[in-house]
Amino acid sequence: MRFVLHRLAAAALVVFGTVTLIFAALYLLPGDPAVLVAGENATEESIARIRELLGTDRPFWAQYADYLAGLAQGDLGMSFATQEPVTVRLWAQFPSTIALTLFASVVAMVAGVLLGIVAAVNRGGWIDHAIQSVMLFFTSMPSFWLGILLILLFSVTLQWLPAIGSGSFAQLILPMACLGLVASGRLMRMVRNSVLDVLDEQFVVTARAKGMPHRLVLFRHVLRNALIPVVTLLGILVGELLSGAVVVETLFARQGIGRLLVDAVGVKDIPVIQGAVLLASISFVLINLLVDLSYSVIDPRVRAEG
Amino acid sequence: MGERLASLDDIAPDLPARRIATRWRWSRRPRLLVPSWLRPGIALPLAVMAAMLACAIVPDWIAPFDPTDMGDAILSPPDAVHWFGTDHFGRDVLSLMIYGARQSLLMGACAVFVGGLVGGLIGLAAGYAGRRADTVLMRLLDIWMSVPDILLAIIIAAALGASLTNTILAVGLVTVPRYARVMRAQVLTVRSRNFIEAARASGCSEASIVLRHVLPHTLSPMLVMATLGVGSSILIGAALSFIGLGVIDDRPDWGFLLSQGRNYLTVAWWFASLPGLAITALVISVNMLGDALRDRFDPRMRT
Amino acid sequence: MITRRHATALLGAPFIIPARAFAQGPAATPRPGGELVFGLDGAAVASFILDPHDSGFAPHNRVFRSIYDSLVVLKPDQSVGPWLATSWEIAPDRKSYTFKLRTDVTFHDGTKFDAEAVKVNLDRVARRTGRPLTAQIDIGPYEGTDVLAPDTVRVRLSEPFTPLLRSLSKTTLGIISPAALAKHGDAIAQNPIGSGPFRFVSLVQGVEIKLERNPDYRWAPQGAAHQGPAHLERLTFKNVPEESTRVAAVQSRQVHAADGIPPQNVVSLKSNPSFRVLEKELLNLNYTLYLNSRKTPWDDEEIRQAFRLSLDLDAAVRVIYLGTTPRAWAPLSPSIFASAEKQLAGSWKPDLERAKQILDAKGWKPGARGIREKDGKRLTVSFADTQGNREKRLDVIQFIRRQIARSGFDLSIDSQPNATYRQKLTDGDFDLSGASQFAPDPDVLSRLHLPDGRTPASVAKTDDAEISQWLRDGQREGDVEKREELYVNVQRKLVEKVLAIPVYVLLYTIATTDQVQGLTIDTHGFPEFHGAWLKG
Repeated sequence: MRFVLHRLAAAALVVFGTVTLIFAALYLLPGDPAVLVAGENATEESIARIRELLGTDRPFWAQYADYLAGLAQGDLGMSFATQEPVTVRLWAQFPSTIALTLFASVVAMVAGVLLGIVAAVNRGGWIDHAIQSVMLFFTSMPSFWLGILLILLFSVTLQWLPAIGSGSFAQLILPMACLGLVASGRLMRMVRNSVLDVLDEQFVVTARAKGMPHRLVLFRHVLRNALIPVVTLLGILVGELLSGAVVVETLFARQGIGRLLVDAVGVKDIPVIQGAVLLASISFVLINLLVDLSYSVIDPRVRAEG
Repeated sequence: MGERLASLDDIAPDLPARRIATRWRWSRRPRLLVPSWLRPGIALPLAVMAAMLACAIVPDWIAPFDPTDMGDAILSPPDAVHWFGTDHFGRDVLSLMIYGARQSLLMGACAVFVGGLVGGLIGLAAGYAGRRADTVLMRLLDIWMSVPDILLAIIIAAALGASLTNTILAVGLVTVPRYARVMRAQVLTVRSRNFIEAARASGCSEASIVLRHVLPHTLSPMLVMATLGVGSSILIGAALSFIGLGVIDDRPDWGFLLSQGRNYLTVAWWFASLPGLAITALVISVNMLGDALRDRFDPRMRT
Repeated sequence: MITRRHATALLGAPFIIPARAFAQGPAATPRPGGELVFGLDGAAVASFILDPHDSGFAPHNRVFRSIYDSLVVLKPDQSVGPWLATSWEIAPDRKSYTFKLRTDVTFHDGTKFDAEAVKVNLDRVARRTGRPLTAQIDIGPYEGTDVLAPDTVRVRLSEPFTPLLRSLSKTTLGIISPAALAKHGDAIAQNPIGSGPFRFVSLVQGVEIKLERNPDYRWAPQGAAHQGPAHLERLTFKNVPEESTRVAAVQSRQVHAADGIPPQNVVSLKSNPSFRVLEKELLNLNYTLYLNSRKTPWDDEEIRQAFRLSLDLDAAVRVIYLGTTPRAWAPLSPSIFASAEKQLAGSWKPDLERAKQILDAKGWKPGARGIREKDGKRLTVSFADTQGNREKRLDVIQFIRRQIARSGFDLSIDSQPNATYRQKLTDGDFDLSGASQFAPDPDVLSRLHLPDGRTPASVAKTDDAEISQWLRDGQREGDVEKREELYVNVQRKLVEKVLAIPVYVLLYTIATTDQVQGLTIDTHGFPEFHGAWLKG
């Protein structure tokens, strides 16, 4: 229990630190959001008035304190661009990104684990080489290029799948394939190496010597041990997927935090930027926390020491 | 979105070392005795990288045309004159790519340099200084890492404006935490070794200990990370171009070419696909080289 | 999504005759119902502003043209015809307009349209409290509106303002329900309530806007395809800023239509019988390049000449737009009243030698890497940009960069987020920039070239007494021919003195699948969905 609380506290600290870091960064970097909000015909005075309205003319500490105070009450401020509460905008976009990231991780995991096992079992053979080469290719591609090729093939030429949008599951297929495939490469390598490691271990050799059928050995002993590192990679994977989602969301014209962030950065809509980063940061930290905790559950040795 | 870390030690330093089993290496069939550097796994990426470096260093000798030459043939497919076809300005795509190698490699290398330097310093400080400083720095790194790559790069690049220096800065800063972690892990390992104690006992100054004993041991994992990092830096840079934060130049980097060419994929596939392939080839080569380096230096570091 | 094509393939082509075969018949009767999904080129907008009085951004205007009606409609001959206003009288001193209004119009919230509504709307646009609205400039020297009767209203101006009628045909002076204004205030941007053929259902910021048919609609403007409610049941705009995705969406039939079709796809879509491409000139202040005439050395007309003589815009437009768009000679697009396109066509030719001579004479000598220098300063041109490669504008700049490098100019592209860009324009911290502005009346030139009343973030810093006088006179001149002459003079001088370098005429393009019928583009260049319907 103390372990959990300890981790939670650390996680909260990290999130707090991220928010502060981004706040400071946005404050220091150039560009005045008031100019944009004031509109095209604005005079100097109306810009100054808007600055007052937005509160961007106050010193750093005042703005920061205000923001924290609002945060404590669950108020993330108002978007400079649309005058809507930031929470409303985030809430509208978040589910789409979560869906994309989740399904992409599923794709990555399924593809990575399956192919990793197949590759390991066929170690040195042509299947192994083929899988490794193809996966290497996928990991090294720019994700938006893969996305465009997918759209060209499956949407325009074959007309099997929709190219844009975020309403239905069908619209999720191409984006999640794009994101997931690129991420699955690393996972495949890790699983492959992990399975190979375990295959070499004493207890496996012993079990096989004792005459246990190959498949049983695989499932009982190898997999359980081999998949432990995969859980660890999950946390980082999600971070990368969140990051890759930005590009994929833009390309496939989907809703999402990534696109929201890109748009907000363009107009220097500070509250939205902070809100989006906060959300991404919390997600990342939470997932890693879960990974840490599940780790100790899966592997009793860690629990004993941790 | 490329490689991020090098070892299990890195992700979960608390794990008992036992989990990392030693492996023996399968040699390929047929078993030939071949010097390790000539194996296809190394020779091929080396050749590719050498070719790209040549393009970066002396493009004028290699490129058939001036990349800024806007000819009459617009969006024309690959033929005897223009091996890779022409783009929407009538420029020769092959020449563009050759000249673009410099920007791409420069961006990748410099971003890695920035990240490695800053990260290395932080990692060194964290590993070498006391526990309290270490914890503070590690938390800072956690914060740094908790913002997804591209998001952070976008924020920095968008605010600073689009230029090569700013892109390098943005991409470099984003990759700092991974170098810091590797450095720190290595420093912690080395620090407790006997010969360090011996050096200290024999009167060497802390500074010289760091320079002459600690740092050399950290070089190999950092080098491996750096090699792998070039690939991921280029990919992040390409993503920035796609978002619209790329650098506009007479001799654009591959990411920018890919970004421009994507709108022409249905009418002129060569414009985007070939730079895309080039990026992929570079990243693959860099990854393979990084792997080879890692195998050579420390097989235990395999993930 | 399984399309009819799959069904055809699966069930055996000989037995299922594709609908395409019927498309070539005589004009079919419109089929009511259905949802038209439109892929909108909305650029990377953070938010939709559906407040007609507060948006100069063309994509938004294309959306809310279907939500709000205007008092008058712009006819193809550039005169105005009746819409919500049935007739009007202009007082002899031309300082007041008396409009007679329709009495059968209701807003989407059920309230009635009357003279009071007109007053509320115009007063709002002219308001002096709160943030100034973008449309303010469209009503000029507005003084007030008097409600003479429920169906009669008099608009008073402090001076004659001839552009008023055409301005009233714009989306920017669309009529909002006063009750909604009272309720939402400026938040009308996210809760639009007008009287148009479609009413607002919902929106997701930056992503999509959903509209549905207004069943009570009976007041289409003169010249519309039909008078009753729209055929379509629902109209959904999906924002697809990514050009290749937008085209792919049409080609894969995921959307029924999409606009902003890039030149390279226009050709292939036109030749494909399953798709149609609609094109129309957008009434526009053409995309024009402006040298910052307040900054040295651009305050010197001869240097500006040297700059322009180094440009080959014919080549640039031909290469980049692949022949799908014409080059612009005058600041105003060809169909706008008083456009000087004919008069100025061919009025200057690129002359690299002459450009070099001028620069030599002025003391700019070729220096390192061919870039000219004078007194230690390099001849740099910083092009301020914020919109990215919209309409391939940055491609144009890249193209001309090479051209002017031959004379020794060093052009660099300075891309900034919108807020920083506007600040730079206001501070005059740029050498070259470009802009366009959709508008039906030549008075749009005043927005850039008339110093008083111009926004401080204007791209053009023109301050020429003669031009200013012509523009002011043009605002007041009632005689059509005299007015035309004034604006032709303005354009001629702008071009002669290189205060404006027009580049290309924008052809607004919409690609539709063959299912879409009756989709038209109005005189302004905005899509009209009132007459649209879906086949099959």
